[in-house]
Amino acid sequence: MDRRNLLTAGGLAGFVSAASAAPAAAQATGTLSTLDRIQREKKVRITAEVDSPPFGILDTNGNPDGSEIATARQLAKDLGVDLEFVQVNATQRIPALLAGRTDIAISSLSITVDRAKVAAFCAPHGALSIVVCGPKSTAISKAADMAGKRIALTRATLEEATVPKAAPPGTQLVYFDDIGPTIQALLSGQVDAAGMSAFAARSVADRNAAAGIEVKFTVTTAYYAAVVRQADESLRQWINTWVFVNSRNGVLAGIYEKYTGVPLPPLPTL
Amino acid sequence: MDYVFQFGVVWDHCDELLDGAWLTLRLSVGGFLIGLTLAGLIAYLREVGPRPVRFGLGTYIEFIRNTPLLVQLFVLYFSLPMLGIRLDADIAALVGLTLNFAAYGAEILRGGMLSIPYGHIEAARALGLSRWRTFRHVILLPSLRVAFPALSSQFVLLMLGSSVVSAISATDLTAVTNTLQSTTFRAFEFYFAATGIYLSMALAARLLLALAYVRLFPAAGRGAQ
Repeated sequence: MDRRNLLTAGGLAGFVSAASAAPAAAQATGTLSTLDRIQREKKVRITAEVDSPPFGILDTNGNPDGSEIATARQLAKDLGVDLEFVQVNATQRIPALLAGRTDIAISSLSITVDRAKVAAFCAPHGALSIVVCGPKSTAISKAADMAGKRIALTRATLEEATVPKAAPPGTQLVYFDDIGPTIQALLSGQVDAAGMSAFAARSVADRNAAAGIEVKFTVTTAYYAAVVRQADESLRQWINTWVFVNSRNGVLAGIYEKYTGVPLPPLPTL
Repeated sequence: MDYVFQFGVVWDHCDELLDGAWLTLRLSVGGFLIGLTLAGLIAYLREVGPRPVRFGLGTYIEFIRNTPLLVQLFVLYFSLPMLGIRLDADIAALVGLTLNFAAYGAEILRGGMLSIPYGHIEAARALGLSRWRTFRHVILLPSLRVAFPALSSQFVLLMLGSSVVSAISATDLTAVTNTLQSTTFRAFEFYFAATGIYLSMALAARLLLALAYVRLFPAAGRGAQ
């Protein structure tokens, strides 16, 4: 009897330790992918940029809202896990991803080859255009008119990547860390014009009718997508699949139109 | 973590980093010198000025000391234009840092002044020194000696605190670092380099101030040490 109990106990102990060692070993050797880790922990961390209308704003109760926030919530729901928002400003979207503070960056990150050098874009799920906007008193109708004027830009955004290339010599470019101060600089008259997404420009114009902000010209158009670390291939494929499905069932179109007021253009594949 | 460090990128942009550090230095030294002069004036007026002036200056000091420097800079840069005063980012930064240092400096100098035994002032009066000469030789210089360590700490705080001027678009070291890391995505390398530059500037400043202390106040006149 003693030997039988001993054998059973030994067998059970061996089984339990093997079962618990396997995931520990996987983690120790780093074979647990981010997608697996997200599903195991039942939690995904996604960036939330809340001062970028209409992609990310704070509603009247101080909770995150906006088209990218709603997209993130839908993605977490379809993945079947809890969502934790990691609040970032414009310059911190990709650094937070690369440093491991977040798993996915969904904050209207336009697809550019420079960003693709350090992170991996998923299939695009939205489109935006970058414009230069300013009060009626600023006389700009094309890029060449920017000479001698002060133009505000937000760091680490598509406008920072494109407006300086279009700006003629003699343009004074003024950089801010967040979209908020960029808008403030425009409204307070510290700068003659500012570069931002067309949606943000319209939101600024609508909320500050007295300032008479209008769009001067369009700089470029772009598609934006979710971004993950280059090593997270399985997560990237899952998001691509999710975008594929939801661009056909109208979910992404519904979110986009609700917050931007315009229909979602046809989305190309990456 | 399989991040590959690439400090070569930092070296390629070292000119821009040094330009930023140069503005930080100019803002800090300018803020310190002008602020210290203002602080001396404010401390003097708070001791001997008329009541409304003393009250007004006291209010100013409490406002500066109880609000964040960043908010003060935002007011100077974003709110003043509403009143028709438009300041360039660099000028607003200098004004903000100067006013900030002057408030703290005035309090530090006042602490130094309070440490002068009243007997010294009585003796000066008895010797027939004028009010101004009493203030200069019996109150100001000795209190500077007492306050010097606190003032030099405040200077280093000012230099390190000047990093917030990047929020109003002044192109100091922090602003340049932020721009470079956002375009090259080498956040760790650039922030590490910026830390190193700030550290070197702060240590160099402390060394220079310590040398100035020894030079200005030779051991013989320093009293009980």
